[in-house]
Amino acid sequence: KAAAGRQSDLLAHSLWINDSSSSSEDEAEEVEAIDQDEIFDLIRSIYDPEHPNTLEELRVVSAPQVTVGTNRITVEFTPTVPHCGMSTLIGLCIRVRLLRSLPERYKIDIFVKPGSHQSENAVNKQLNDKERVAAALENPVLLDTVEQCLANVGSRGAIIV
Amino acid sequence: MNIDLPYTIQPISELPGHEDRAWHVAWNPTKPLLASCSADKTVRIYAYSSTSNEESKSIPTYAFKTLTSIPTGHAKTVRAVAWAPSGETLATASFDSNIGIWECEKVDDMENGENDGSGEWECISTLEGHETECKSVAYSSTGTLLASCSRDKTVWIWEVHPDGEFETISVLMEHSQDVKCVAWHPSEEILASASYDDTIKLYIEDPSDDWFCFSTLSGHTSTVWSLAWSPVFDSSEECTSSTHGSGGPHSHSHATTASYLASASDDTTIRIWKRIAEHKWECVLVLGGHERSVYSVSWCRGVRPAFTEEGTYLGWLASASGDGKVLVWELWDPPSSSAISTPPRHKLIASLSSAHGVHDVNSVVWNPRSGFEDLLATTGDDGCTRVWRITPSS
Repeated sequence: KAAAGRQSDLLAHSLWINDSSSSSEDEAEEVEAIDQDEIFDLIRSIYDPEHPNTLEELRVVSAPQVTVGTNRITVEFTPTVPHCGMSTLIGLCIRVRLLRSLPERYKIDIFVKPGSHQSENAVNKQLNDKERVAAALENPVLLDTVEQCLANVGSRGAIIV
Repeated sequence: MNIDLPYTIQPISELPGHEDRAWHVAWNPTKPLLASCSADKTVRIYAYSSTSNEESKSIPTYAFKTLTSIPTGHAKTVRAVAWAPSGETLATASFDSNIGIWECEKVDDMENGENDGSGEWECISTLEGHETECKSVAYSSTGTLLASCSRDKTVWIWEVHPDGEFETISVLMEHSQDVKCVAWHPSEEILASASYDDTIKLYIEDPSDDWFCFSTLSGHTSTVWSLAWSPVFDSSEECTSSTHGSGGPHSHSHATTASYLASASDDTTIRIWKRIAEHKWECVLVLGGHERSVYSVSWCRGVRPAFTEEGTYLGWLASASGDGKVLVWELWDPPSSSAISTPPRHKLIASLSSAHGVHDVNSVVWNPRSGFEDLLATTGDDGCTRVWRITPSS
């Protein structure tokens, strides 16, 4: 339930990819709603930490597993195996990508597909604890791994402003 | 904002300056100072003053200003701050696993000798021992003990000696997960800790042995983020207060012994635990109203009862959440004739949405100083510290 915050998780500004097309219009004037395909575009090219494949190729993420509500986005993902030790890292990569790409008004909740992981509750709890997420991203080794998984995300999906 | 509620939460001051998420804020108990901390590794100290025209009984005006930004030297996020009861010392809890102890250098040319916090803040001690992120730090009511907690699942109790010396007197390993918060009882040496394991643990010292956990409070269905004990009303305050109205049945002796603990959780609720025996607390009330994690609770004496209830006034409880809302409840002890486990009477008296715009509100803290009890400070993911005043809705 906890939403991860924005700024802590963005860390160094050099990590932020500025979208040159960002307009200076007031947020209030933006009426176009974000849809699940746009969210899927943002996360489909994340690399799996253990494979040379993307989360889309491994069917870890899919558009129907994204739910867009009013200022709330829920992403469900499917670990490749029920004992996948990398699930929290995959979830963290998804969260960081969305934090860096979505307007601040969105609260993001990330869960594994029900029944897809033997430690489902533990994984979900950790991924949605903003304090645990913030601390994880202050760990240079972990952050470096996240950055590697996100190395190619810019190939699909644009930053939404 | 709900206009039907008897009180309104009015903005008094916005204090930007942190370059990253502001996690926590603490009012100095004796001086007009406020400290906030952030993921930007700094602590900001603010000073405030108020002017009021006593004759016309006009609403006082407050002026808040930033005194200084302390770089701290912590290698990671500063997660929490706590003032010693004397108001002379500030403790910081950091994700770098250390606790920092800070004092303000006295400025020599100050005539009255009062340390107004405008001098240089220096680290007089660093407490090392936790293995991972420190999440919370708290001084006991007498200032002789300090408690800290960490993701390493432990709670440490330190004895405070003069000259910045600290001695570890206990390492409590009761929780099975990350410990999020520690809070001392306002008048007794009872310590409470809240955890990612969904429980709250209460500790006392065995005079012939070590500190030990005498109770585990279960009921929350997710992480417990924050704790607040009900405030102590001493009888002199009770008697001099003219704001309680006439004829209100107040049991003074009961007021000094009543003891409740409020807890805030990721399960979006606040639970109220009541002392039903010397070493026994029981959940008597669950408060809803938030839509996301409740990150912070604070309980103060409040200013005056908004409504007249049979029983004893227990003050005001404020909560802050990831849903951006701040809620304030007024609580009353039930009449002494009722059963011991009767829940307190409660009424939502004020509500504020989007306290920090679209951002999560990470902490809410009442000003403990006499005459300022209607002031609240909040911090949010926007890096701001905001000050609010609770005023009667007209």
